[in-house]
Amino acid sequence: MKGPFENVVDLSEQVENLVKACAESQTKMWESWCGLFRGVPVQGMPFPDVSTQWREIAMQGLKAWTTESKQEVKDAAEGLLSPHAVFMRFFELALTAWKSFPPQGGQDGQTMLTQYTGQLREHLLQFPERAVRSLEDTSKLWQLYMGKWQKIGQPWLESGRRASWRVGEAATGDGSALIELTNLYWDTYERTFGWLLESPSLGHTRELNEQLLKGFNAWIDLRRASLEYQFICADVWTKAFERFMLKLISRKPPYDKVLDLRELLDLWIDTVDEAFLEMFRTDEYVRTQARLMNTAMAYRTHERAITEAFLKISHVPSRSELDETHHRIYELRKEMKQLKKALQMFQEERLSRHTGEQAFPHP
Amino acid sequence: MAELPLFLRPEDAIRQLTELNHKILQGIECLSRVGPDDIHVGVSPKEEVYREDGVVLYRYTQAVGAPFHIPILLVYALVNRPYVVDLQEDRSLVRNLLKLGIDVYLIDWGYPRRGDRWLTLDDYVNGYTNNCVDVVRKRHGLPQINLLGICQGGTLSLCYSALYPEKVKNLITMVTPVDFHVEGDGLLNRWVGRGNGKENIDVDLMVNAFGNIPGEFMNLGFLMLKPFQLGVRKYLEMLDIMDNKEKLVNFLRMEEWIFDSPDQAGEAYRQFVKDFYQGNKLIKGEVRIGDKQVNLHNVRMPVLNIYAEEDHLVPPASSIALKQHIHAEDYTAQSFPVGHIGMYASGKVQQNLPPLIAGWLKERG
Repeated sequence: MKGPFENVVDLSEQVENLVKACAESQTKMWESWCGLFRGVPVQGMPFPDVSTQWREIAMQGLKAWTTESKQEVKDAAEGLLSPHAVFMRFFELALTAWKSFPPQGGQDGQTMLTQYTGQLREHLLQFPERAVRSLEDTSKLWQLYMGKWQKIGQPWLESGRRASWRVGEAATGDGSALIELTNLYWDTYERTFGWLLESPSLGHTRELNEQLLKGFNAWIDLRRASLEYQFICADVWTKAFERFMLKLISRKPPYDKVLDLRELLDLWIDTVDEAFLEMFRTDEYVRTQARLMNTAMAYRTHERAITEAFLKISHVPSRSELDETHHRIYELRKEMKQLKKALQMFQEERLSRHTGEQAFPHP
Repeated sequence: MAELPLFLRPEDAIRQLTELNHKILQGIECLSRVGPDDIHVGVSPKEEVYREDGVVLYRYTQAVGAPFHIPILLVYALVNRPYVVDLQEDRSLVRNLLKLGIDVYLIDWGYPRRGDRWLTLDDYVNGYTNNCVDVVRKRHGLPQINLLGICQGGTLSLCYSALYPEKVKNLITMVTPVDFHVEGDGLLNRWVGRGNGKENIDVDLMVNAFGNIPGEFMNLGFLMLKPFQLGVRKYLEMLDIMDNKEKLVNFLRMEEWIFDSPDQAGEAYRQFVKDFYQGNKLIKGEVRIGDKQVNLHNVRMPVLNIYAEEDHLVPPASSIALKQHIHAEDYTAQSFPVGHIGMYASGKVQQNLPPLIAGWLKERG
């Protein structure tokens, strides 16, 4: 059986992970943009094997060759591979789109492109839409949410799973469900930490339940904001693709310039950057990004409150308590510096009165 | 199927793709040959002359026998590391200034730790900067020294010069934001927002949640200002220099600098964003640092304002605005046709910038 101090070790690791998680949230968001694009199915890809096999070889090479290298060398090597993969997907899409256009007559290229990008947009937006629908299932969300806390306390998580349907009711205002939920936690508490503590433990349980529910609401807000953000980004991907194809279509035979792959890639990068930079400046983007940031920070604050509730139960100092201590040390240090400076200035002024030399303030 | 307007047959496309892939593999192999000792940054010899908490004041070793009698103190931004002014031998503002007979000091702000989250702008300006200035003044027996503030460090130097004009002989600001709400704001200004409305990023919430603002978080924000150029094209262009080890190492040095981002002390970050970015209080005379009001009208010493014409981080108009808000009779503005990073990294700028600075300082004695 695990002793209470083994839990303490897990908690420290968990806290570290949580700290990192929020800093990485924007990185993940960025990766998910690319992920959106990679997720689009392409029929009849021209060179799927070439791309996939090459990437596998490259990854093996990367691992083998840069084992002993400095981190920035490894990062640069990965930097070479990652955009290549995204571009390949884009290139394949462009070729496939081209294949779907009729050879001549009927509709003009631009109309066909509009239809094609319409389908693309629909597909790209399917992911956020599915996710939005999933937001309606509170019980599932609660399970996901509780999954994040799995490492902190397995018995608590079990209780959370059992409580999932109850939370759905509690969130919609059914008070009896909340009482039931509290009871579930109380049972778990009795089986785990309860034996360690005496009467004040009841307060801990209530506090924890309240923090968990608040955290759940903050988590839902964050998911909504994240989906809104992905919606507008998905739309820009489509617009960028449309522009890219239009630039190609606008070239009429005899072509003014022959493109090779590298030129095609440059054209693509310019087009996508242009589309994203336009979007970045819009009020809608600024608002959506701010909402994403603010909900992420609000969630992180709740997350810390929950973590600290666990820490409190386990008699482990919390981040807030350390911050408070640091603050006090900071204030004392500042006061001491001011006193030292005042003393030194006083001494130097006294010396300068004797010697007649100009005094320089000493730090 | 319509003809692709590329004159690119499938077999040619495969060939070119194979070539590109081959080049990338070669590139990775080249990277594997770069040893840990190949990438040096901060190349000029220097000595530590003062240390306070995590902040260190360095003096660079003289390159000429009798340097110009008034030293210059470089004040870099809190974001990123100051060694970019001395990145490598042939791209070093510091080295070039030393060669031109300038005595160079530099403040290294270090890497704020969690315990430093309570550091405020008061600590940075009235504390560390003022103490470093006093150390240099005392070492040289001078009432005033020259200041060169870079980027956010320029804004801090401007505040310092307004608060302690009696200690600053000449002020040089480089790619320095002054008016944070200029027409056609830079993206950074736009993202951070104006005022403290709900539609803006809530800095209080951010600092309360993070404590110190993580360097990676800051860095990602900067990269997203030009996501595909900085995240994709840059690495593809690296392919063109792969067979030249010297160029490759130069590239990696810059990569090291770009991703070497210290965390930002929470309280200082909170005030900088709220008062400068969101409130634009510097030009309104409403910034308070500690118990002191920053009045830019006190900046009467000679000022050289250097900005980058293609700057995507600090819009040129934000720097140019300086002239309207100070009372310096001797004011010079000089631009370079580069971006923000180009001011440090461009070889051409490094040919012209150090003589400009050294000449301007020497003319003013």
